[in-house]
Amino acid sequence: MKRITTTPRNHWQAEVEKLGFGFHTTNVPYWDESVYYEMEMSEILFIEKATAELWDLCLGAVQHVIDNNLYTQFGIPEWIIPQIEKSWSEDHPAIYGRFDLCYKNGELKLLEFNADTPTSLYEAGIVQWFWLQDLDKNKDQFNSVHEKLIAYWKYLKNYLNPGILHFTCLKETLEDLTNIEYMRDCAIQAGLETKLVFIDDLGWDDDSKQFVDLEDQPVKNIFKLYPWEWLMSDDFGKHIPEDSNRALWIEPPWKMILSNKAILPILWQLYPDCPYLLSAYFEEGKLTNYVKKPILSREGANIDLVMKDISLQKTEGVYGAEGFIYQDLFTLPNFSDHYPVIGSWVIGQEPAGMGIREANTLVTDNQSRFVPHLIV
Amino acid sequence: MKKSKCIELVLITAALASCNQPKKDWDDNYKVHVRSDSTAPYTRVYHHGGLGAAFLWYYAFRPYGNYYNGYYQRAGYYSGAISPLSNIGSNGFKAAVTRGGFGRGGFSVSS
Repeated sequence: MKRITTTPRNHWQAEVEKLGFGFHTTNVPYWDESVYYEMEMSEILFIEKATAELWDLCLGAVQHVIDNNLYTQFGIPEWIIPQIEKSWSEDHPAIYGRFDLCYKNGELKLLEFNADTPTSLYEAGIVQWFWLQDLDKNKDQFNSVHEKLIAYWKYLKNYLNPGILHFTCLKETLEDLTNIEYMRDCAIQAGLETKLVFIDDLGWDDDSKQFVDLEDQPVKNIFKLYPWEWLMSDDFGKHIPEDSNRALWIEPPWKMILSNKAILPILWQLYPDCPYLLSAYFEEGKLTNYVKKPILSREGANIDLVMKDISLQKTEGVYGAEGFIYQDLFTLPNFSDHYPVIGSWVIGQEPAGMGIREANTLVTDNQSRFVPHLIV
Repeated sequence: MKKSKCIELVLITAALASCNQPKKDWDDNYKVHVRSDSTAPYTRVYHHGGLGAAFLWYYAFRPYGNYYNGYYQRAGYYSGAISPLSNIGSNGFKAAVTRGGFGRGGFSVSS
């Protein structure tokens, strides 16, 4: 893995905007093509293999949590447990997830799993691919995101409830809208009938006990870019168990087990010999060098990196009320004070590609940049 | 690693390109009163968190109605950007369904 500086394309902003990628720059650059990472094929195969194995381990860990009723460690309320278990036993459709991995000195370690609402899908699947076409058409990339999304939606078609597949996200966020509309694009190409409805426009019809869109059409299947913990705390969350349509929510409720950082100590308990896992615990004091993470948090908030009782870096945020976990400290590799994390995608149960986000600190937060890659 | 070399997008580029327009710079003293239903009273909208964001075109007023015997019946318009008072009024069709019970969780998912 090498970090290569290069000259961005002339009018690169216009090039990415032509793709519908409008959030390339906020108050700081987000898409950064002044640099890219060069990977050996052997490294890509290593990441692909690790991703497949981690996915298998995660499925085993979900079964373990359900069998042993470990929900309190995840801060999951009792009323939603039947939904989790039903979605697991009935194998409700799930399509994607993103492992955040640290690759350093030939070792690959799982930092966390974004299993419920992973973003940067469009950047990984489309924007960096078209960047490579302009840079060098003969080079390859670890990237079959687009093909796998379409193929898996085709496969899932037979497992959805009859009717429309709704897509939903928050308003006023172009990043979320881009991710969800890209996913909808792939579903359309797979032959599904789709419709966008913003999550705050969803209605609840108390007479028929069903969720409806703005045309009062019942919601039978709904892909959401909105985390389960928010759904549960919203006023309408309690209607989910009484929904007469038994709508399929994608990602399904069982994904709230994997998207919770409490899964990290569970994975470590179950698979201590796995070379891709870092030791992790619910209890403080078992590790000398560790990262303290809230079990529910986003964008690197409320993280504390500790080495020999001294805090190396601590981030602010509003998370932590549900509890913390402690994970062995495995710092990101340093490329001239740039710290890349690999986001490795699982789509339809298979490794599907990767995106690299680069930060100026050891914690990857909402100031980090998306940097493309290629294979040599 | 790429299984095909041809990527087509059927929806996203046109839809999102139109979202990526500069927002109009509103003066905070600029007073706008709107309603989405003729049976509802007007209420004022504000730039911050209000109609200013409607320049993201997806966020504008949207048709509100239902399908009956295969035909679409328009019942008016709806916008989550404005007060419920100005969305529903005495329109019985709109009042039959409660909205706004999701979406209070945060600003952006971004993870």
